[in-house]
Amino acid sequence: MRLELRDVHHTYAPGTPFEVEALRGVSLAVGPGEVLGLVGGTGSGKSTLVRHMNLLLVPTIGEVLVDGVDAMTLKKSELRRRVGLVFQFPEAALFAPTVEEDVAFAPRRLGLDEGEVEERVRGSLRMLGAEELAARSPFALSGGEKRRVAIAGVLAMGPEILVLDEPTAGLDPATREELVALIRNLRDAGVSVVLVSHDLDEVAEVADRVCVLRDGTVHASGTPAEVFYGDPEMAPATVRVASLLKASTPEIGIPVRFDETLAALKAVRGG
Amino acid sequence: MTTLGQFYPVASPVHDLDPRAKIVATAVLVAGLFLVDSTTGLLFVAAALVVLVIFSRIPVRRFLRLLRPVLFIVVLTVAFQVFFSREGATLFRWGFLEVHTGGLWLAFFLALRILLLVGVAGVLTATTAPVALADGIEDLLSPLKKVRFPAHEVAMMMTIALRFIPTLGEEAEKIKGAQAARGADFSEGGPLRRAHSFVPVLVPLTVGAFRRADELAEAMESRGYRGGEGRTRYRELRFRARDALALLVTVLILLIGVLL
Repeated sequence: MRLELRDVHHTYAPGTPFEVEALRGVSLAVGPGEVLGLVGGTGSGKSTLVRHMNLLLVPTIGEVLVDGVDAMTLKKSELRRRVGLVFQFPEAALFAPTVEEDVAFAPRRLGLDEGEVEERVRGSLRMLGAEELAARSPFALSGGEKRRVAIAGVLAMGPEILVLDEPTAGLDPATREELVALIRNLRDAGVSVVLVSHDLDEVAEVADRVCVLRDGTVHASGTPAEVFYGDPEMAPATVRVASLLKASTPEIGIPVRFDETLAALKAVRGG
Repeated sequence: MTTLGQFYPVASPVHDLDPRAKIVATAVLVAGLFLVDSTTGLLFVAAALVVLVIFSRIPVRRFLRLLRPVLFIVVLTVAFQVFFSREGATLFRWGFLEVHTGGLWLAFFLALRILLLVGVAGVLTATTAPVALADGIEDLLSPLKKVRFPAHEVAMMMTIALRFIPTLGEEAEKIKGAQAARGADFSEGGPLRRAHSFVPVLVPLTVGAFRRADELAEAMESRGYRGGEGRTRYRELRFRARDALALLVTVLILLIGVLL
């Protein structure tokens, strides 16, 4: 499915002294099986923006389109099933006595029969490598395990787009790696992913397109190479290295991912 | 962005008063209002309250919003007095309902008294920052330390509780959002079902509150907090001449109200 935001504005507490305009006309789109990296500093409006993707927040001005249809006209429950939103620190919303029951919350709310629910629970826990946690209490898990279980809880709805708000914040490198792998697997399965992150290296690894948010507007957007080489100050380590070498060795090209950069460097050295 | 709490931060002579003076004045007024037994007296106090609100620079609409929580009680009281009091001349009769002049007067009197009680307390909370309020209460309770009453601890707990209301509110909003994203619906069904639908919010909220409490205790201890003994303050309260004057005026207004 294709999710599109058109000229979305959002103002918190309008008409009060606490009024804040968090989004000032953001337009972007995510196509089927595409990974969109959404980057930007704190306070740039990323978290406000993702809440518009399943209409937890309604735009003050502008519209959200799902396959070209105004999302406001869709049933909320249907929209939220199709656009799975994983909040920042999603483990803060774990509540059930066991991991299994927590992950089953969303599919049960969809009214699926128990067999299907069980299948979904097992399937999404497997995707996150958390099957062996099924019978444990979510409160007795480690930070990384909690995070994986919480993401499985959203994945169990079978969303067509998964929106992840800083999914790797505060995780150890191994769990980060696993989450990056999960995003690749989802894309291969045809699920679109919106990845919000401060970690440019991580975005560089998986994003098909990158969108930079600044002060509530789209500062830059395009392929990772376009965006990162357009502003090497705000780029992952690979791009910074390559652009520093570019002056003396222009043949290095514009590699973005780690393996691309490594190959380019080897080619330069060999040649 | 939530605007919890009733404190309205503007600069005004009322905001400037020592919180202790305001707390004592409020206590005196709230208790004293029960001694005012004439409508004239109440109206006099009400006029004084209007002047106070003007001085405090609280917008009128904001002040009226402070009164809203007791609106139900006021309406109920008025209804009871109007329909069930049998004093004075009969105004009209409709079935078993009778409305008497005495009832109308009493209804007006009681409604005014309730609104005044809440209004007075409202001015206190609207013009005093929660932290200043807690500081004031600690100071006023400190004589009780002699009989081992933990005045500092009580005030510290109040301060922390007040400080965490907005934090927990934000946390609750976040969790509600996360559960809504998983298909939770907090508005459908009867009251019982709706209460049930809040379990996925209340459980993590409680767990989070305990975690926060632990973290806060550790953070306070690592910064050397050991309770009230020998602890100094960043903001020293100072009771000045105008605070004494404010108290005096309050007592005078109340006395006139009682005598009228």
